[in-house]
Amino acid sequence: MQAADPPPLLTLTEVSRTYDDRTVLEPLDVELAPGRCTAVMGMNGSGKSTLLRIAAGRDTPTTGQVRYEGRVVTQDDIVVRTEIAIVGDQVSAYPDLTVREHLQLVAVAHGAGRDADDLVDRALTECRLDGRADALPGSLSSGQRQAMFLAAVLVRPRRLVVLDEPEQHLDPAARRWLAGLLRAEKQNGAALLVATHHAELALSIADQVIVLSDGALTSRGAPDAVLAEISWLAEIR
Amino acid sequence: MTVTREAIAVPDSTEPTLALLRELRRGQARKRASGIAYWIYVAVLFVLFFGGAQISAAYRVLRHPPRGGAHALTVLHAAPGSLAALGLLVLLVLLRDALWRGPVTLPAAAVSWLLGTPVSRGPLLRPRFRRSAVTSIIAGAAVGIVPAIALVTNGLGGHSTGGVLRLTGVAMVSTALLFALGTGAGGLVERHPAGRIWLRRATPAAVGWAAALGGLAAWAAAGRPPAVLDAIALWAGPWGWAAQPMIALAGGSAPLWPLALVLLAALALAALTAADRGTAGIPGSALRARAQTLSAMSAARVSFDTRGFALAYSRAGGPRRARFRLRHPRHRVLVLLWRDMLALARAPSRLVGAAALALLAVGMFGIAAASHAGHAALLPVACALGLGYLAAAWLCEAARLDADDTRRSALLPFRYDSLAWWHAAVPCAVFYVVAGVPAVALSVAAGDLRLLALLAVTVPVLIGGALVNVFRQQYPPDLYGGFETPVGNSAVFPFILWLTMGPLVSVLPMTLLLSAALGSSSAGPLTRAVILGAGLAVALGIFAAHRARNLRAG
Repeated sequence: MQAADPPPLLTLTEVSRTYDDRTVLEPLDVELAPGRCTAVMGMNGSGKSTLLRIAAGRDTPTTGQVRYEGRVVTQDDIVVRTEIAIVGDQVSAYPDLTVREHLQLVAVAHGAGRDADDLVDRALTECRLDGRADALPGSLSSGQRQAMFLAAVLVRPRRLVVLDEPEQHLDPAARRWLAGLLRAEKQNGAALLVATHHAELALSIADQVIVLSDGALTSRGAPDAVLAEISWLAEIR
Repeated sequence: MTVTREAIAVPDSTEPTLALLRELRRGQARKRASGIAYWIYVAVLFVLFFGGAQISAAYRVLRHPPRGGAHALTVLHAAPGSLAALGLLVLLVLLRDALWRGPVTLPAAAVSWLLGTPVSRGPLLRPRFRRSAVTSIIAGAAVGIVPAIALVTNGLGGHSTGGVLRLTGVAMVSTALLFALGTGAGGLVERHPAGRIWLRRATPAAVGWAAALGGLAAWAAAGRPPAVLDAIALWAGPWGWAAQPMIALAGGSAPLWPLALVLLAALALAALTAADRGTAGIPGSALRARAQTLSAMSAARVSFDTRGFALAYSRAGGPRRARFRLRHPRHRVLVLLWRDMLALARAPSRLVGAAALALLAVGMFGIAAASHAGHAALLPVACALGLGYLAAAWLCEAARLDADDTRRSALLPFRYDSLAWWHAAVPCAVFYVVAGVPAVALSVAAGDLRLLALLAVTVPVLIGGALVNVFRQQYPPDLYGGFETPVGNSAVFPFILWLTMGPLVSVLPMTLLLSAALGSSSAGPLTRAVILGAGLAVALGIFAAHRARNLRAG
């Protein structure tokens, strides 16, 4: 039995998204409290990434509203930029900066000051990038690149972490490591919103699973119950 | 500093972050500076090598300005309309640049790693805006030399070196101010999403106004329109204000040109100031979209993917909405024709542009036909066919969609290579309708039905040529290399051939056939043009289908 939920940090109320006459996300409510994790599952094109982009202020909902501690979420809001960490929107890296230098940049941008080097060292170790700290992004494998993006979350302060398929490009051992990392984040009080294709990852970290199909909510509840209910997800397990 | 349940204080980290970035990228900045210096060196060499004669001619003109000939007065009369039209088009290009690129762009890496942090946008973006403004002003001043030279070589602008220098100076200043205004207004368009909507809506009206100004210039060259029209052209907006100093110093009538110049300077300054202040507020979504577009364009440029480049530009405008609906066809064979018509309906501007090009082509062809000059008609015929080819290429957009991704047409009831034939139908029909009406009018007016016969055979040839280009494969990587020759690497020639195969196989032979037909009053060359043209159209259809088959096979 779980303790009573703390007040929500992020509230999505009746949010939907249409492009022209195509609905990619039907009206949906989501609440996310500190120390809780919601996993969003569904096939490709089901609306997971759209939901995450809206939650992070990267897209504007056609209807409904997104509030972060009572304030409307936009990607340009300084509080949103300070407190919400996002993995999945990095598409590019400075070709001439090493992994360490990328992380230093993020740490300093978030006000780490003199602590930046310590934070970066810890994140490199945590994300098993010690041996690749001085590598340029072009020489990283896709899994190492994904680890670099995750490490960028660890060097900055955060209350809400939004992750779009963080297990992408990770091997099974790295996925287990990822699950441990996200559980630790949750225990430390971060709210997590994670889109994933991996039922195992959802089972191990989520307090709630939302299943989308063609933009519509088809199931919502505790991970075990939802995964047992949805046959195609059970097959993945 | 890790996870916290409490609110996080916004750090004042802008200066240390930007200093760190500068420090980390010092080597890169040096490399970029040396790259810019190299290109400036190449540009100077290029100008000196190929423009040496023009530069020395310009110097001679400066020393001894020519006397105005009979046509000087014509040029002077046409100047208000033509210079205002050019000014308006320049301003429009600068403003529309802000729809997809804008004066402020961030590299994709900065968007990914800095935009989501608490770093203030002002110090990050403002230097980029100022750099764009300075570059734009320098470019504007350089562009200003062109109309000045055009006026001076026509004997306008006085007969002393001082007069020529004064005219060139005001031309450079007014064009630089126009460019500054365009950059400032572009910055505001980037800052305010509503500005983008307004600009898109205003574009057709602006193009229409520029066409009207062009018409006024043509009227002024042929006769004497009322002076009030010139006054309207010169005072209707900053494009006219920019023209006034040049007209006044060329000897035309623009008595209040200092006022116009002051107005232009004030407006440019206001726009630059407002844009500079608003830079910090440029939405992250606008910066992300621009970075994405530029990344896609850069990738396309590296792989010589001209279509990828065009697609990146077109996607920057957002999804296209169908302006009208077409009912689904009842017969499955009609589905491709229906889809082609729908593709044209989704982009009315493309249809209008193609129609304008087709009309220009017919007009140019009419001029060539009227000259009856045999080989002297080669140039106007080639121009007419070039314009017609561009119109055909625009009308073949639906075919391009099938060529972009060969899987897209998998469910259609046609073999892939036969699509080249099916996709010719709608563009041919549209071209016949658009060009047919003025062609019939011209033929009836001239009492010469040869034009219609030639049009009938030329349209499928041009569409065939366009489809040959549509179904080309990716540029073969083994052709990137080439070999060194005394005049440079040979790799450029196969690339040009790959790029221009469509116009080469359609425009070139038709130019010879049509100019021969127009230059002779006997039936032989006309019959030859019709028969060979029809054969060429079929051959191009077969060639396009062959290329489609190769494209599908990968």
